Amino acid sequence: MTDAIDTAKPGKSGRGPAFWGISFGLAMAVLAALRIADIVGEKAGFAIMLGCSLLLIPLFRSANRAARRGGCASPAVLRYNRGMGVSSIAYVLGLGTAIWAYNHQQDPGVWTYGLALLPVLPIFGMIWTMGRYLVEETDEYLKYRVVVAALIGLGGLLSIASLWGFLETFELVPHVPGWAAVPVWAIGMGLGQFWIKARGQ
Amino acid sequence: MKNRLKVLRAERGWSQQDLAQRLEVSRQSVNAIETGKYDPSLPLAFRIADLFDMAIEEIFLRGE
Repeated sequence: MTDAIDTAKPGKSGRGPAFWGISFGLAMAVLAALRIADIVGEKAGFAIMLGCSLLLIPLFRSANRAARRGGCASPAVLRYNRGMGVSSIAYVLGLGTAIWAYNHQQDPGVWTYGLALLPVLPIFGMIWTMGRYLVEETDEYLKYRVVVAALIGLGGLLSIASLWGFLETFELVPHVPGWAAVPVWAIGMGLGQFWIKARGQ
Repeated sequence: MKNRLKVLRAERGWSQQDLAQRLEVSRQSVNAIETGKYDPSLPLAFRIADLFDMAIEEIFLRGE
């Protein structure tokens, strides 16, 4: 049988997850541009990034509100949003800390392996959260939508990675590090969810 | 697949939310099934049939 769907009416509706997601993306893009142009220093950039990561809190809170409003706030969805929220904040903090520490370390060594794990462990957390959602979600339609969106993201990632790989082999584009795979997949999955919604499913 | 879920629900004066709670699924699931955008699994189809005290083929129609 199915876990109870949370139909409790949300309090204040507030802004939607799209607003907070776009705000976070724009803030990070502006920060990256300022860092590349060397307008913002390393310490100030790290501090601003910490501030930007706070936008993830209203993002995942609004995702829960949207799920309740849309009548699809199953316990598994709420746990998924919480897990993704914690993992995303840990990722941003881990990434910033790892890059800062790497640039300032005097004697690279085994310690660098630990630094590399800082942003990677939260990514493992995201993948674990996704897997746990697929196991725990008892509403077959909600699970179907997530699986379709995840497959769209995977298809996009494989296509882009293959295309980029050949362009890189022919020295037409610069090298892209392997850790870009998860963000590309996540963006593809988000576009997949948007496509499903646009189709009225 | 076409189905008579919307009619059966309306006959009982249930909203989509009412039916969703009775089936213990999300309202979006009920909406997707009613509009033919999603075909339920056999276990869920049996639960729907049991709720309306009908056979599955009386609710879900062959074709399409």
